[in-house]
Amino acid sequence: MLRSTAVPVKEALNNPVLLRTLVGSFSSVPFKKRDHSTTPVQDQANQTSLQATEKYKPYSPFQNTSNLAEFALARLDDLLNWGRKGSLWPLTFGLACCAVEMMHIAAPRYDMDRYGVVFRASPRQSDCIIVAGTLTNKMAPALRKVYDQMPEPRWVISMGSCANGGGYYHYSYSVVRGCDRIVPVDIYVPGCPPTAEALMYGVLQLQKKIKRYNTLQMWYRK
Amino acid sequence: MSYFGLDRFFTFLKTIKNYGGLKASLYKIYRMDSLRPGTLVGTDKFGNKYYENNAYFYGRNRWVEYAPQYGTDYDGSQVPAEWFGWLHYKTDYLPSQDAARPKYKWMMEHTQNLSGTPGQFMPYSTTQPKVQAWVPPKK
Repeated sequence: MLRSTAVPVKEALNNPVLLRTLVGSFSSVPFKKRDHSTTPVQDQANQTSLQATEKYKPYSPFQNTSNLAEFALARLDDLLNWGRKGSLWPLTFGLACCAVEMMHIAAPRYDMDRYGVVFRASPRQSDCIIVAGTLTNKMAPALRKVYDQMPEPRWVISMGSCANGGGYYHYSYSVVRGCDRIVPVDIYVPGCPPTAEALMYGVLQLQKKIKRYNTLQMWYRK
Repeated sequence: MSYFGLDRFFTFLKTIKNYGGLKASLYKIYRMDSLRPGTLVGTDKFGNKYYENNAYFYGRNRWVEYAPQYGTDYDGSQVPAEWFGWLHYKTDYLPSQDAARPKYKWMMEHTQNLSGTPGQFMPYSTTQPKVQAWVPPKK
């Protein structure tokens, strides 16, 4: 009630003429309305303030090599990582509605095949597992078993709130509070469910991570 | 001319010329898998360049070419917030044309996704752990 009576007064205060009569002077009234117009304005200054250097970042993350052996191993690592990230075959572990979004990245719009990501039904032939959905106590031994069957360079993408930390079912009696209690997780994709775009971004982040692996260089240093 | 498809050939030649020669065009194909002619609409403060070509269908007619400092490690979070709306068809106004954009001095500088770098967000718990990790039995 009080609010509805106060609103017209507020409207009137926005009127500068009325405000001037109320104040009783023709001096400059300290009154500023926030200018929110939806019409385009002319181009203001071109906003290139901190201009970046025109220097291309090199492909390889291993740049400071001191001798020839290190250089050769760094390039071999680059080759290995390139092969691994260019053919990342995920095992589908669809448990709930997140699995539908996981199907979407295989569909033509987000076409994951252009990144070399191909769904594989067997754990023995896959590099990465996408845990999509609520992991229940009953399913947890199966997840661990499937993860143990995967060959060695293996990665895990946890997709959705339920797989990340229980999500909506965090306080349920039958749900694992995050699949990282069962398997080590590399990439967490947030969302409930995450969009296919978000999962695609997660896959690309995993590729970025694989690019930094220094398997052979660590072997040489040992 | 257009009956024989020759105009497409000339468009192709013009595109290569726009990108600055054959070598630069090949690098562009290596980096972003496509060579598309377009008009440069703007450049943001990180050096990313925004292009538009309405000959392509809606959804493909606006794109970004990331700054050379990112190399092949570009990702979507490097597009700052003021260009996001234009790039994703939220608005048709460029950031410099839109009067409705609020500009406050408390607004933060845009950062890219820092996951995997020393600046990443690491949550930590201040409570006692409620579960005990399983220790594999030694044989």
